[in-house]
Amino acid sequence: MKSEYNYGFLDEGSKREIRRSVLKAVAIPGYQVPFGSRELPIGRGWGTGGIQLTLSLIGPEDVLKVIDQGSDESVNAVNIKKFVALCTDVPTTIHTAEATIVQTRHRVPEVPMKNNQILVLQVPTPEPLRVIEPKEEVTKKMHAEKDYAGIWLQLYECLIRYGKVTIGAEYPCMVEGRYVMNPSPIPKFDNPKLNDAECLYLFGAGREKKIYAIPPHTQVIPLAFEDVPFEREDFSGRKCRLCGSEDTYLDEIFDAETGERYYQCSDTAYCKEVRARHESNH
Amino acid sequence: MNTKIQKIHQFDEVFDSQNVFRLVLEAMANPGRLVDLAAPAGKMFGEEPALLALAMTFLDNEVSFWAGEDGVLSGQISQLTLCRNADISEADFLFLTDGEQLEQAVQNAKCGSLRDPHKSATLIVRTEILGSEFIALSGPGIRDLAELAASPDVVRALLLRKEQAYEYPQGIDFLFIDSQHRLMALPRLVRKEEKKWDM
Repeated sequence: MKSEYNYGFLDEGSKREIRRSVLKAVAIPGYQVPFGSRELPIGRGWGTGGIQLTLSLIGPEDVLKVIDQGSDESVNAVNIKKFVALCTDVPTTIHTAEATIVQTRHRVPEVPMKNNQILVLQVPTPEPLRVIEPKEEVTKKMHAEKDYAGIWLQLYECLIRYGKVTIGAEYPCMVEGRYVMNPSPIPKFDNPKLNDAECLYLFGAGREKKIYAIPPHTQVIPLAFEDVPFEREDFSGRKCRLCGSEDTYLDEIFDAETGERYYQCSDTAYCKEVRARHESNH
Repeated sequence: MNTKIQKIHQFDEVFDSQNVFRLVLEAMANPGRLVDLAAPAGKMFGEEPALLALAMTFLDNEVSFWAGEDGVLSGQISQLTLCRNADISEADFLFLTDGEQLEQAVQNAKCGSLRDPHKSATLIVRTEILGSEFIALSGPGIRDLAELAASPDVVRALLLRKEQAYEYPQGIDFLFIDSQHRLMALPRLVRKEEKKWDM
């Protein structure tokens, strides 16, 4: 552990402020609590919101897992994991079931999270109304008045123009019938995992200086019309080329030389676990 | 006479604060669940060690608190945390050392605004949590219903809060601490269900 720094890199005053904001975020699910986002040795927009949450949560008893788009081995995940381990000495893992804190960029793991686990999501754009209104002053007022006509209109315009809702990731959700929330750029495939979950979800946006939360067993409903229900990405007829899973979120890999398209699990740790299970059965 | 100089508490600002925070977070995310603060509270001093452990974890000069007429507790909190004392209607954290103060505290605590609901008070109440009245709680964090044999103060706190008829997201959040340093949180969306009990 680098002893020139405080445990968990942040000073205790910063941690206290983040912790107070986290408690308010849990008390008001889906509401974006403003906080004084700190400087970190990593650029804003590279997961600083998630890192500040993780550093304020973490203690010697924890086991950390960090993923980036489902992968434990991509640059963002590896560096964040190294950084947190360097200033806390906590063990890290790739197995979702072993972790007490999972920090993630843009995916919810395939293995269902339990009540004693916390999923920390990195959020680039916390404000779901930003696409229809550029001013923070105005979006705060819209949330205060529960004025979500604009975002419904946006969904409707999608239907009129393209015949379907074209939003991919970052699909807006209604939390406990009160706040429209941006679930961070997770694919629509992961949206249902937020509803009535076992674990606590914490969202941190470092650049935008916002923290919000979804406690366990909270109602999180993707916005949809009665006659045009919410739809997840459809992978029917496709399966992971490595582990054969048919019920996971799949990445499409295109081979430019042969023109072939492959599919494989986005959650690399889950894919490995499934393959290990297959091997031990043979 | 030989006097030995020693620290007034053994509470570690880094590790015990982190431990207390995670326990309080668990309680807030799972309303109705009792978490055990005995270990960190055991490292503080005075009549209200658990309240002081919470103060050490959450209070500093950026927020404010109110601790009623209890000059001793107020003094200890200010001295430990450099947190400023504020009027009951302005304070971010209200410390109640018994249920008698509930009515005054709930009726005067700030509840935030529709725009800034986070600018609301957290009430930390030192009272018995468990008692003989069976209540059922519902709200975010609770699967279906959480059943609890609650003390009269917990029941009264929920009733007083209901009578305030806050327009959500405005509201106040409760943290209850009992004599065995167990903590239970009842954030603003948790409500008591009117349920007929078949006894």
